[in-house]
Amino acid sequence: MVHLEKIEYKPMPVRDLLVEMKDLSELMIDLAYSAALFHSHELAEEVLELETHVDTLAYILKMNTMLAARDAEDAEALVGVSMVASAADKISDAAADIAALAIREIHVHPIVRAAFSKVEEQLVRAEVKPNSILVGKNLGELELAARMGVDVIAIRRKKNWIINPEGSEVVSDGDILIARGAPHGVEELQLVAEGSVQKLGD
Amino acid sequence: MAPKVQKPFAKIVKELVELKDTSELMMDLAYSSLLLSSRELAEEVEALEERMDNLHTEFELLVLASGFKSEESKDFLGLIRLGVATENIADAAAEIARVVLRGLEPHPILKDMIKEAEETVTRVQVSRKSSLIGKSLRNVKLPEETGMWVLAIRRGKKWIRPKPNLTLKAGDFLIASGYAEGKEDLDKLASGENTLSE
Repeated sequence: MVHLEKIEYKPMPVRDLLVEMKDLSELMIDLAYSAALFHSHELAEEVLELETHVDTLAYILKMNTMLAARDAEDAEALVGVSMVASAADKISDAAADIAALAIREIHVHPIVRAAFSKVEEQLVRAEVKPNSILVGKNLGELELAARMGVDVIAIRRKKNWIINPEGSEVVSDGDILIARGAPHGVEELQLVAEGSVQKLGD
Repeated sequence: MAPKVQKPFAKIVKELVELKDTSELMMDLAYSSLLLSSRELAEEVEALEERMDNLHTEFELLVLASGFKSEESKDFLGLIRLGVATENIADAAAEIARVVLRGLEPHPILKDMIKEAEETVTRVQVSRKSSLIGKSLRNVKLPEETGMWVLAIRRGKKWIRPKPNLTLKAGDFLIASGYAEGKEDLDKLASGENTLSE
């Protein structure tokens, strides 16, 4: 039997929900292509996880929009908001379909990878272990872009996503870092995050 | 070392890249049409949607006609699925643009959504004092200078797609997307407050 959680109403500003849905759906597309092209199961799992999250946001957004309409005029003004939210949800579904290729082991030919990424960049998912030197430092002081040519584009902290984190964001044990960079750089980041490399290069 | 590619396969990949690029351009333009309440931009999205449908059919026919071996069928299924996903993204973009085409004035919340998102869309006008005038898009290297990508250009009543050899003129409106920090740099270049670095 399919078991889906009941989504309860939460009062939340529709604007915040929309911003989050737009940001997440766009992040998901990048992650999904990367998962499919580099056959990354882990990245694909993140995308599927995000897809569930975006679904939940879509429900909450719809409930809040319904409650915001008091008359026909309001309904006409708000229907566009609801349509755009559905579209963002649809984009996140498309991203999940792309990610599902990696889960089903449907491999996309390496030629496609070369054609898609004009620059040799890839996305990576790195889990921060308790003994990693990243723990307790903020992104600004870590200077990952200067040291290894990688850019942290998102952090997942349990159920929360921080997209394009600020320099003041402190890395914690258990964080999932999503980073973009050249292949050797992202590899280095993974080693540092898992604690098997205990110093940062210059 | 790049593996040797057979001709039909190279064509298939080229079409897939075009599908992906078009679907992403449509998303950017669709959100821009909301922000600017621009019917013209929304119509551009609608035109791209039609082009996308044709491209997608062409792409699927190419894949089916490529004569792959049965052990390769999984690889080709991957290509087809990617194509379908780009088509779905394009459909979603078209739905966003249709909010504008139906004559609804986009709700202020929708404009806030785009302004507050990590990647924002902006519109700037090239002033008569700007150092961009008379230079081609290729030469001004806006992505390197400002981190902003030009999505579309409005010249008088015409919308122009940005091609590398397009020469910028005073009065052009540039619709560009990128991270919020880049917006200010682009503003300054377009207004003439800053000049291009050599």
